[in-house]
Amino acid sequence: MSQFTDEELKQKVQAGYMVEGPEDMTEGYRKALRVQLTVQADTELMSAPSYWMAARHAPSTNTQVSAHAIIQDELAHANIAYRLLEDIGESKEHLVYGRQPHEFKHPYGFDQPLDNWAELVVATGFFDRAGITLLTDVHENTSYAPLKRALVKISMEETFHLRHGEVWMRRLAKAGGEARELVQRAVDWMFPMTIEWFGLPDDMKRHSGQLDYKLKGLTNDQLRQVWMSSTVPLCEELGLNAPAHWDDEKGEYVLDYPFPCQYDAVDKHWAFDEGEISWDAVFERWKGRGPMNEIYVESVQRSRMDVERWLAA
Amino acid sequence: MKEFVYDVFTRKERGDRLQHVGYVDAFDDETAKVYAWTTYDEEKWFEMCVVKRTNVLPVNRTDGLFVEAQKAAHV
Repeated sequence: MSQFTDEELKQKVQAGYMVEGPEDMTEGYRKALRVQLTVQADTELMSAPSYWMAARHAPSTNTQVSAHAIIQDELAHANIAYRLLEDIGESKEHLVYGRQPHEFKHPYGFDQPLDNWAELVVATGFFDRAGITLLTDVHENTSYAPLKRALVKISMEETFHLRHGEVWMRRLAKAGGEARELVQRAVDWMFPMTIEWFGLPDDMKRHSGQLDYKLKGLTNDQLRQVWMSSTVPLCEELGLNAPAHWDDEKGEYVLDYPFPCQYDAVDKHWAFDEGEISWDAVFERWKGRGPMNEIYVESVQRSRMDVERWLAA
Repeated sequence: MKEFVYDVFTRKERGDRLQHVGYVDAFDDETAKVYAWTTYDEEKWFEMCVVKRTNVLPVNRTDGLFVEAQKAAHV
C-alpha cells in the first residue's frame, strides 16, 4: 500500500502525480477506482448481449458486420477493464461469472430490450455518446495511468460506434414514414434513459471521492450538459423531438419534462404527466433491474461451467 | 481454467517504437497471440508481439505489476 496518507495522495494527484499501481494507492483510492472500473467494465460487458440480440435486425450483410464489429469492440473493452480490476486485487472470474444478474453495476438502459434496427442505431447514437462523454472525461483527467493508456484504444473505437449510430439515425430519419416514426419512438424512451444514466444531480450527490482522487474531472450535471450539447442539436437537425432545449438565459440545456420521473419498462414509456419522483424511487427501479437483466447476464455466463467441467474431465 | 497474463506490444508503422498497448489472459502462447490480435485490433499494426508477464524481468524497480508477477511465479 501507499507510502502516502489519503490527504497527501489527494493533493499529489491534483498536482499531476500519476498512480501506476496498488503500491501507490491508499485504500480509499483503491475503493473509489474499483467502483469506477466495475461500472465501466459491467457497462461494456452488458452492452454486448444487448447489441448482439438486436443485431439480428440488421438489414444487410454489411450492417451485420458493422453491428458485430461494435459488439466485438465492447467485449474487448470489458475484458480490458476487468483486467485493470485484476491488477488492483479483484477477480475477473468472480466479477464476470460469479455474480448474480442484479449484482452487475451497468446502467438501467442496458437492461432494456432493443426491438428493431432503429432502436439499435439510436442506442449506439445515444448510449455510446454517453460512454464517450464519460470516458473522454476520464481519459483527460484520470490520475490512474494504466487506465489512461487503455482508454486510447477504447476512445478510438467508441467514436466509430457513435458515427455508425448517427449515420443510420440520419438515414432513417430522412427516409420518413415508418422509419422516421421508429427512430422518434426510440428517441422518446432512450433520451430520458440516457439523461438518467449520468446519475444524481450535483446538489444531491453524495461525496464519492472520484473528483478528489482525480479519477474524473467533470461532475454529473456537467457531463449531462456535454452529452446534451451534441445530442440535442443532432435531433434538431434531423427534425426529431428531443425533450430538452437550449436556454439562453441560463446558458445551458434544460429538460422539458419532470426529472427524474417514472418509467414503464413494458410499454417503454416515461410518465412525464405523473410528475417528478424522488431519486430514492429511481434507485429502487434501478435495483429491481430491467426486463432483460437476467437474460443478458445468462447469455454471458451460460457455457462457462459446462466447458470448465469438460476440460477438467 | 488456468490462464496466464500476456503483455501485448505493438508498432504502428515501420520505424515506430514498439510500445505496450495492454494485456490479455490466455492458456498458452498460441491462444495469447489470437486473443491479442482480436482484442487490440484498433490499428493495422506493422508488428505485434506478446510476452508472458512472468518472462518480463524488472531491472530497476522493487514493486509494481512485473515484480508481483515474478513473485507469484516463484511461489
